[in-house]
Amino acid sequence: MNFKVKALVAGVVLGWSMSGMAAEPIRIGVSGPFTGGSAPMGVSMRDGVRLAVGEINAKGGVLGRKIELVERDDEAKNERGVQVAQELINKEHVVATVGYINTGVALASQRFYQQAKIPVMNNVATGSIVTKQFANQPENYIFRNSANDTIQSAMIVEEAIGRRGFKKPAILADSTNYGQLGREDLEKVLDKKGVKPVAVEKYNIGDVDMTAQLLRAKQAGADVVLTYGIGPELAQIANGMQKLGWKVPIVGSWTLAMANFIDNAGKNGDGTRMPQTFIQNPDTPKRKAFIDAYVKAYNPPGGRMPSAVSAAQGYDSVYLLAAAIQQAGSTEGPKIAAALEDLKAPVEGVVATYNKPYSHTDHEAINFENTKFGEVRDGRVVQAK
Amino acid sequence: MEILLQLVVSGIALGMIYAVIAFGYQLTFATSGTLNFGQGEALMLGALVGLSLVGTIHGGPYLGYWLMIPVVVVFGALQGIFVEWIAVRPAIRIKSEFGWIMSTIALAIIFKNVAENIWGKDVLPFPSPLSSEPFTVLGANVQPMQVAVIIGALAIMFAVEIFNRKSIYGKAVVATANDRDAAGLMGINTGMVITFSYALSSATAAFAGALIAPLTLTSATMGASLGLKAFAVAIIGGLTSGMGAIVGGIILGIAETATGFYLSTGYKEVPGLVLLLLVLAVKPSGLFGKAAIKKV
Repeated sequence: MNFKVKALVAGVVLGWSMSGMAAEPIRIGVSGPFTGGSAPMGVSMRDGVRLAVGEINAKGGVLGRKIELVERDDEAKNERGVQVAQELINKEHVVATVGYINTGVALASQRFYQQAKIPVMNNVATGSIVTKQFANQPENYIFRNSANDTIQSAMIVEEAIGRRGFKKPAILADSTNYGQLGREDLEKVLDKKGVKPVAVEKYNIGDVDMTAQLLRAKQAGADVVLTYGIGPELAQIANGMQKLGWKVPIVGSWTLAMANFIDNAGKNGDGTRMPQTFIQNPDTPKRKAFIDAYVKAYNPPGGRMPSAVSAAQGYDSVYLLAAAIQQAGSTEGPKIAAALEDLKAPVEGVVATYNKPYSHTDHEAINFENTKFGEVRDGRVVQAK
Repeated sequence: MEILLQLVVSGIALGMIYAVIAFGYQLTFATSGTLNFGQGEALMLGALVGLSLVGTIHGGPYLGYWLMIPVVVVFGALQGIFVEWIAVRPAIRIKSEFGWIMSTIALAIIFKNVAENIWGKDVLPFPSPLSSEPFTVLGANVQPMQVAVIIGALAIMFAVEIFNRKSIYGKAVVATANDRDAAGLMGINTGMVITFSYALSSATAAFAGALIAPLTLTSATMGASLGLKAFAVAIIGGLTSGMGAIVGGIILGIAETATGFYLSTGYKEVPGLVLLLLVLAVKPSGLFGKAAIKKV
């Protein structure tokens, strides 16, 4: 073999390996609870993420590379979330992670991403402090595209006290991080309005009897119940009110739209209102395409998305991230984060079209404008009138 | 006053659930000196099997609610026989003091995992056979289903007591309970009696599961905390007294709802457990239990 042939072979081999490198997929982590009480949110989020990734890959991917998802079930447990974070960072070498349904899990796990300089896109968790955990550090790698509790609590209070004119709210919140942080937010906003809740009650995950809590609220003369909790126990509240023959409206955080609340509460849940970023209602072509694709791909029972908000936010989180990677022209964490903070082109999502959603100091994509009120009616969430 | 009455009514409805499960603990303890720590899981399985029969999750409904109950009871009995055969009999044979504790707990965990795989980890609604509209008694609101739970629980305990006292088979159970060795010498097949008591115990639990499911929602994890609280009830009331189970259940039920209302819902579980500690310190055989003297 003479030198020329050798050089040719070497060139071909190099070319091959280069093209192999170029086709190396971009790995994105997905962390959420796919089993247990939070599963409707986790699974819907994951399905929304998969839909978006499928669409992007079908169009050729990002930077000419396909996106590959690495999905892990964090079981809504803080310690499990930490394990998942370490695995995704150190073993799977993801370039970013989307997910987190549970505020507690997000708070416990995010520090590892912050240290590794890998961006996290919270697409469901709502605790107000989630994006502010590392706000005092020069670079903050935690972003969000869900309606945080500061927004939600303000909207809940505005709806109950401002618009519908109730005077004596009772707060029922579960004993998790989510419930108790939400309760604090609600109390703060009520305080600003000069309203003091007549009862503030707590319950545990898995409680089957809410008689005591509800009786205290009823005794205190509450005319509206504000809730912060997740599906099954919220259903126990609605059903418990019926047991006591006590009927006042329920207004609460967005989790009142979960399928496991709506199904378990049945007609007791009718009329319940909650802030929503997305309602399964094909009012724009983009949303119609998304809903149709979701129903076709995952065939949810009765054609109803188990948690439409989670699915939509999961979908949008991937597009936001993909836009940032494209703009950065790199998969290095600091560059992606810098691009997210300064997105040049608007990103069209199903919740909203994001026009410069983030800045260096503001890591929240969702604001009051793109959050609306949903109402449970006949087993579905519809836009409240 | 109305409030107190409401708390008492809700407490009794809750307490009767504990009482039926506690009664199941007593049945096996009487004959064999062993307990099935998977009693809560027997209840959970009863509720989920019932749901498969009357609900739409597995292609049903196959049966109406009231027809489903005997099927669930038979299923519970078979499940109890299985538990006795796998977990308890080997321990009794080698006269192991504590082997059955671990093995019934192990089986309980296995049952829970199996249920999670068949029925999923989510909470499922159970169709109610009676109207869920409450009616008012002296100012307290009661749901028809709560009344059904109270009546059903009392009925099954009463039926088991009658059976034990009046029928010849029941007498074999009582004889085995009094003195297993002597009963054996009198020609009673005590092994069979112990198996039978396990069948009876799980059948009552499965019955209770099908009964309370329309009130509490069903899931693979519904049994764990109920089983534990019922155990406390069995200790408070005494492991040898059917009356003790009922009174203990009602005490715990009312203590929970009343504390939740008058003190704080955060401390709902505490008074029942304080009571448990008190009973263990002052009268370890339970409020209604006979003190057993262990001759060595």
